[in-house]
Amino acid sequence: MAEPLTRARIIGAAETPYERHPSTERRTETFIAEAVVAALHDAGISRDEVDGFGVASFSLAPDHAIDLTWKLGMTIRWVMEDTNGGASGINMLQHAIRAIEAGDAETIVLAAGDRMERREFHLMTDRYNRVSRDYMAPLPLNGPNALFAFLTERYGRAHGLAREDFACVPIAQRTWATRNPGAVYRAPMTLDDYMASLPIAPPLTRYDCVPIVSGGDAIVVTTEERAAKLGRPSVGVRAIRSIFNDENQDGNGIETGFARIRDPLWEAAGVGPEDMDAAFIYDDYPVMVLVQLGDLGMIPAMDVKRYVHKTLLEDLYPVNTSGGQLSAGQAGAAGGLHGLVESVQQLRGEAGERQVQGAELVLTTGYGMVLYTHGSSHNAAILERVA
Amino acid sequence: MSAPFAVTECVDCGYVAYPPRILCPVCASSRWKRRLTENGIVTELTVRRPVAKRRQLPSGNWLDQEETRLAAIQSDAGVRVIARIAPGVEIGDRVRLRQEASTAIALPGQVVSADLADGSADEAAPTIHAPLSDYPGRTP
Ligand SMILES: [Zn+2]
Repeated sequence: MAEPLTRARIIGAAETPYERHPSTERRTETFIAEAVVAALHDAGISRDEVDGFGVASFSLAPDHAIDLTWKLGMTIRWVMEDTNGGASGINMLQHAIRAIEAGDAETIVLAAGDRMERREFHLMTDRYNRVSRDYMAPLPLNGPNALFAFLTERYGRAHGLAREDFACVPIAQRTWATRNPGAVYRAPMTLDDYMASLPIAPPLTRYDCVPIVSGGDAIVVTTEERAAKLGRPSVGVRAIRSIFNDENQDGNGIETGFARIRDPLWEAAGVGPEDMDAAFIYDDYPVMVLVQLGDLGMIPAMDVKRYVHKTLLEDLYPVNTSGGQLSAGQAGAAGGLHGLVESVQQLRGEAGERQVQGAELVLTTGYGMVLYTHGSSHNAAILERVA
Repeated sequence: MSAPFAVTECVDCGYVAYPPRILCPVCASSRWKRRLTENGIVTELTVRRPVAKRRQLPSGNWLDQEETRLAAIQSDAGVRVIARIAPGVEIGDRVRLRQEASTAIALPGQVVSADLADGSADEAAPTIHAPLSDYPGRTP
């Protein structure tokens, strides 16, 4: 196997408990700060060794990254703030790797988090962007569920899938979630449970929509030299590819920018879809898990029906082993780091009951930022265990 | 209260944008004209569950306690439009697009609604040249 193509390593990862109804004093900055402290502890390094900080949040305003830097008592020489929602985690990682390779910073903490109650969720979606405020919210749209109902309907028609087929995604992820004490939904889900769940925007029902939670996630990235001194496995990044606004919202939302980054991603990584021991796919809705897996070449012969029943549900091929956002919860922008945190835990062999034995190479994706009819921001990383 | 529905069209290459853009993604022109679009076909629809409590958000928009019937519509102009649809409209139906001012809000948010098409022809579309300095060039 070739050496990782980047010289930065992820040496720490942490997620705060995801909370359904946090007390009022637990603010967005509280969750982000707790994730930062936990990730540093996990990495075994002190705050004062950090010289770079990146953060993504929907609800940190009026504060910014520099306010948190000050409140956390850090002096840094590299800072960034990312506003790309579900694509923010991998986007920050892409920037952080190059900063470390260039010597602009040596040890960077990337964090994301939101206090996200129903009220804050509606504030976020109401003012997501100007188009959302002026063209979507007045319908009234009440958030993105209806848009992804359209994409689900469209994808089902294109690939001959009924609700029973889409059900395999949340049911398989729930099976993984039963092994994750941090997931908000842990009770096993049956097909009957799924079929009987509350309609939200048909064909979407409650179990197609992420539970809204509050929480934070963080990872620590540093040089390979420094990682080697820690005496424990770290995570290398073989490749990252991103694409933003590749079709001006003129596409159908189910054949996406992931198809355009597929070949460059695998080529840069020097491995292929068949080499992946697990996948961590941004799961705002079940349909988007299938769209991304398909566009990135993970579904053989694009036989989606067979893939969901056989590969995901029967064989329990590891996709979103935390339960994903569909079972673990979506803590606003922390959702963009959730898959990276789970990837790191799996690759270091620290995923507890849900550990994928011998996990060496994984695919992790980010997706987000609906501009009008569907998401605009796509990125994917190939990560590997470095002993 | 409703008005003809319009999208924007690039004066230089004919690219149709909805919602409006600043530079044309095809030819980078900033000259747009208004183009009326009467009809479209419903490709997908849903009935969005109401929220528990009706309330107004800081933007002026309302969270609605009513179910809302929403659709993705492939307009005759070529762009996909998200619209509120009348009862009885189903997937595959040809619909007439209208633009409604939203009465509940102070900001210039507008609502696209669609009812079953009655076969009426497009109204004549005036040409509006919107230089970059005059942007945002929202359709009225
Ligand atoms: Zn043009």
